[in-house]
Amino acid sequence: MKKDKRYGMVIDLDKCTGCGSCMAACMAENNVPFREDESNKLLSITWMRVYKLTNGKPFPETDVCYLPRPCMHCGGQHEGHSPCVSVCPATATDYSLKTGIVSQIYTRCFGCRYCMASCPYHARYFNWWDPVWPDGMEKYLNPKVSPRMRGVVEKCSFCFHRYQLAKEKAYIQGRRELAEDEYQTSCTQACPAGAITFGDLNNHKHSVYKDKKNPNAFRLLERLGTNPKVYYISSRAWVRRAGDNYLRNEAKPAKAVQHG
Amino acid sequence: MSTSDDNAKQISPEAAGDDAAASSSEIKNKEQGNGFGGPVTLFFILGFAVSLILGWVIAPEMLYSQKKQPIDYNHALHVAEVGDGCESCHFFRADGTFSGVPKLELCVDCHEEVQGEDPNEIKFVEEYVVKEREVPWLIYSKQPDCVFFSHAAHIKGAQMDCVTCHGHIGESETSRVYEENRITGYSRDIWGKNIAGFKKNSWDRMKMDDCAECHQKEFTVQRTDVKTPINRLLDNFIAVSFPGMEAPAGIGDSVQTQRDACFVCHK
Amino acid sequence: MKIGRRSFLSFLIGGAAGTALSPMPLKLTDDSAIWTQMWPWTPVPEDGEISHVNSTCTLCPGHCGITVCKINDRAIKIEGMKGHPVNDGGICLLGVSGLQLLYGPTRVQTPLKRVGARGSGRWEKISWEAAVSEVVKQLGDLRAEGKSHSVGLITGSDRGTVPQLFARFMTAYGSNNVMRTPSMRDSYELTLQRMHGTRALPGFDFENADFILSFGSGIIDGWGSPVRMFKAFSGWRSNHGKVVQIEPRLSRTAAKSDRWIPVKPGTEGVLALGLAHVIIKEALYSSDFIDNYSVGFEDLQRLVLDKYSPDNVAAITAIDQKDIVTLARDFAAASKPLAICGRGRGSVSGSLDEFMAVHALNALVGNINKKGGVRAVSEIDYINWPEVQMDAVAAAGMQHERLDGAGSKNHPDTRSLLNRLPAAISSKEESSLQALLVTGANPLYTMPGSTAVKKAMAGIPFVVSFSSYMDETAQNADLILPNHTYLERFEDVPTPFGLQQPVTSLARPAVEPQFNTQHVGDVVIRIAKALGGSIAGAFPWEGYQTCLKETLGNKWETLMTKGFRLDDNDRAFAGQMTFDTPSGKFEFANKETGRMPQFSPIKIEGDEKLYPLVLVPYDSFRLAGGYIGTPPFAVKTVEDTVLKGKDVFVELNPETARALRLREGQHAILSTPRGQAKVKVHWFDGIRPGVVALPRGLGHTAYDKYLAEKGVNFNELIGPVEDPGTGCDAAWGIMAKLSKA
Repeated sequence: MKKDKRYGMVIDLDKCTGCGSCMAACMAENNVPFREDESNKLLSITWMRVYKLTNGKPFPETDVCYLPRPCMHCGGQHEGHSPCVSVCPATATDYSLKTGIVSQIYTRCFGCRYCMASCPYHARYFNWWDPVWPDGMEKYLNPKVSPRMRGVVEKCSFCFHRYQLAKEKAYIQGRRELAEDEYQTSCTQACPAGAITFGDLNNHKHSVYKDKKNPNAFRLLERLGTNPKVYYISSRAWVRRAGDNYLRNEAKPAKAVQHG
Repeated sequence: MSTSDDNAKQISPEAAGDDAAASSSEIKNKEQGNGFGGPVTLFFILGFAVSLILGWVIAPEMLYSQKKQPIDYNHALHVAEVGDGCESCHFFRADGTFSGVPKLELCVDCHEEVQGEDPNEIKFVEEYVVKEREVPWLIYSKQPDCVFFSHAAHIKGAQMDCVTCHGHIGESETSRVYEENRITGYSRDIWGKNIAGFKKNSWDRMKMDDCAECHQKEFTVQRTDVKTPINRLLDNFIAVSFPGMEAPAGIGDSVQTQRDACFVCHK
Repeated sequence: MKIGRRSFLSFLIGGAAGTALSPMPLKLTDDSAIWTQMWPWTPVPEDGEISHVNSTCTLCPGHCGITVCKINDRAIKIEGMKGHPVNDGGICLLGVSGLQLLYGPTRVQTPLKRVGARGSGRWEKISWEAAVSEVVKQLGDLRAEGKSHSVGLITGSDRGTVPQLFARFMTAYGSNNVMRTPSMRDSYELTLQRMHGTRALPGFDFENADFILSFGSGIIDGWGSPVRMFKAFSGWRSNHGKVVQIEPRLSRTAAKSDRWIPVKPGTEGVLALGLAHVIIKEALYSSDFIDNYSVGFEDLQRLVLDKYSPDNVAAITAIDQKDIVTLARDFAAASKPLAICGRGRGSVSGSLDEFMAVHALNALVGNINKKGGVRAVSEIDYINWPEVQMDAVAAAGMQHERLDGAGSKNHPDTRSLLNRLPAAISSKEESSLQALLVTGANPLYTMPGSTAVKKAMAGIPFVVSFSSYMDETAQNADLILPNHTYLERFEDVPTPFGLQQPVTSLARPAVEPQFNTQHVGDVVIRIAKALGGSIAGAFPWEGYQTCLKETLGNKWETLMTKGFRLDDNDRAFAGQMTFDTPSGKFEFANKETGRMPQFSPIKIEGDEKLYPLVLVPYDSFRLAGGYIGTPPFAVKTVEDTVLKGKDVFVELNPETARALRLREGQHAILSTPRGQAKVKVHWFDGIRPGVVALPRGLGHTAYDKYLAEKGVNFNELIGPVEDPGTGCDAAWGIMAKLSKA
């Protein structure tokens, strides 16, 4: 077993009901701000977003699938060659070789949004406005995550602060290693359908290790070689196909373009 | 309106004359001895000295406001009384988080009533214990909100000593003045007592570089403060051109800085 | 010495050199950089000790166990309580956003008295003494005039100590006009009363069922206890349970089910009888159950064989004959099949015929009182207060007929008909209600025919709201006596709808009351005491908490430590096949009452010629539809094909849209016999041609700017349609017209 962790997620789209708990649980945990009108989804900050996919067939063959999308924490073709990390001119986003988590340091970011352009998953959001909470509502803010300011980019961190807290507890108890259930993201914990599993993809004792090998497992836009750490499972072929954004008339799923 | 215009017209020839006079005197100066050793040098030295004094002494003084702690706290006295050293009051909670500056609740364990004759204690009991108000301590080592610092990792994990970062505060008999930066609102202890940023002891300063000092040590790569974009571009170029090549051995966790990953200390 | 220009320049250069060699340029640059990163207006949440409080969420009738995470005295997050029998760690969108309600701008922070015109939003802050004495004076005066029966009460629920205290108050005061917010519970209770002989909630053992036949129930759209349903749903995905969804629109539930049967809206009941036809004709029913534990099977047999053959049913429902037969066979072949109904979230009472027809299917396959089946779950009986001693005024008041006619000759079993209230009030010149108390309900928004409701309420001289939030009803009240929110108060929480296991939970304060609010239980007791006499005598408790503790008796300890308590007496239940009906058996039909499963279509409002389309509501889990206003986090998750800016989208089949020449995203006017609204059109393949769907939960005029004035309130476009059997509202839609804006 490799010592380094590669934290990742497996989302079972057959179980996902599209209820949106993960989205709200994420917002509550990570002090995500909100504005009066959030219906322009390009501006609406949602670290975790549930997309609605349709198979495009007419009534009554229509089918709908819901797809939750956190940050994919891409490893890239060699560890750390994530699309966003490799373009950041400010060293504001980083890839940790210890955990495989792509971080975002808000105070370091100067808001050029190059990373947003490079992210193929729209997982990054820009703070066009200062976050404002209605009077008194700032009371619920989580001190473990710092609120962002106008002019910086933010994104899902796999609730890294929960990793930090779990580590602190482990240190107190004289341990270094974390058990699987000690570090779970807010969305995983909240999901009422148990569709999200989270853990170390390198650790064969963690359920994600097994789940990612499910024959129906796929990753989003795998052909781009982003090497994402979020896996999806769907028994519906059209969903799996939609996951790699094939062209409408493309005959066969082409092999992923791999540089080596 | 017309009058002011007229005035301007009247003045301008005079001003022009002055200018002419000045330029002629400059020419004279040049002719007199190239300026060195003359008033020009003197003024240079004067300006130099004034700005140095301003920059090294006066401005740093002005940049920080001086604040007194609400209670003059005697650490030495308390450390002698309690059984468990620093951790008696600055303890770890069961969940691993660090309690930091104790709450009134803990102090009340001993100071329900005034025990001695120290006016500070009397003030503490009367002003805070009786009124059930928390003491608004000024925290010398308070880091900005973007910083995550794990006491557990350093004290329990790395077996470090409190003194390494906090100095001999446990031996202090009075609370020193708290200096607050007027621009950022942070304690002077973060940037360092010395305005130039020089430090003699590990606890003299607590900036990011000081964290990095240790967090970099275990890695062999020297001087990798922050990679320039060009460096990274080159790296990426190599990585893409020679895909088999692993990242060079001995770097830190961070792909960007090759030290510990940014997330280790930032939130 | 003359200071010339050269000297001056020299001085400046010296100064610059000196500055460059001083630390200040770097220091000031650094400080200003830090300053820009840490704007003083960006909040810095205070850190501290983490603690947890276990409680129960009462935002919806789902009643999940919650764990409130706190830092010092601030609540920072709500999570699902692990080990709770309802939700075991899971939590829904609304539950997780609860802190936005607690700390949010929609709270009523202190008792308010109206000073401007109704609904003008002009209030005077008053003290609790003044507020209580105002209520006492008004109610006292009415009572003195012998008009105690003209006081009405609308509650969100009638279960648990708080609604029961209110009911007790009304009895002691002398009015029987106690009405609860309607829901599918009304029809299910009556169904079980007729068929099981017990007036109770249905308990479905979804966790052990393997075939779910849902007649439009939004299993994952908020039906029943939502988180529990999500979990059950997830279980079926793991153990190959099948879900068949029957409804005209591809809802979230339909999309996630194994089979979607896009039935013609309003014909679900006939489909159930058609399935019964196949099951009986092909002898697929459980003969053990039919022979030993049921009566009236022959009546049902005669009816369905006679009238509901697959080809007849196919013609009515627009479902292929073959599909009906296959579905019936699959249902009967499953080992634990369950049929459920109650459209969407179940916020409309519905048609009793339909409920009975669907429930008859469960009996046909014999899946009653079994593991993986359905049973009648009785209320845990812990409220044993002494009977109210009524004085003469109260006794006289209680003699009056109820305004809504519930329990009258026509509808002897119906307990509450809130849907009739507006008409009952408006029918006379002087309002038959002189005062109205509203608690845990927002009838002005949730009742169909909002315009009529608003008009009726305008005629009531004195309206008191006990709401914690400034909802539509509170906005139009004369007096608001704000309750604590669920995170600030004690309350017993009864078994949620649909759970097969009776459970009592406890809601307890997670934080100190944030504002000048009072527990509504305390307020009722206070009002009763101030009214004096026998009313005061009916409330011997010092306050609500004493009352609750005393009422729960030995359960209190368990509830305080565990947060919930399963019913002891229920352990004895394990598949008993006795029923409380006169025959002691399950009754498909009862000759005495003449009731049996049948299909009498509910004719919806509107002329087909004027209104060629059928408008149906749909429940989206992202929008709260009931008394609680959707909090900002949840509004944020609403898709941009549902809400864009202030515009709501109606879903329309592209075929219909093309015929109407309406493009995707185009503005249109949606009109029904009840009203009209400006909407946008969203082309959606997953809806029957000729049907228009509009989400519930939008179009609020109250709450905060994150919710108010967005979209359209469905209830403004529809009115109640009575079920002839029960008098309850059974409107599942309304005829409508879409035209270009």
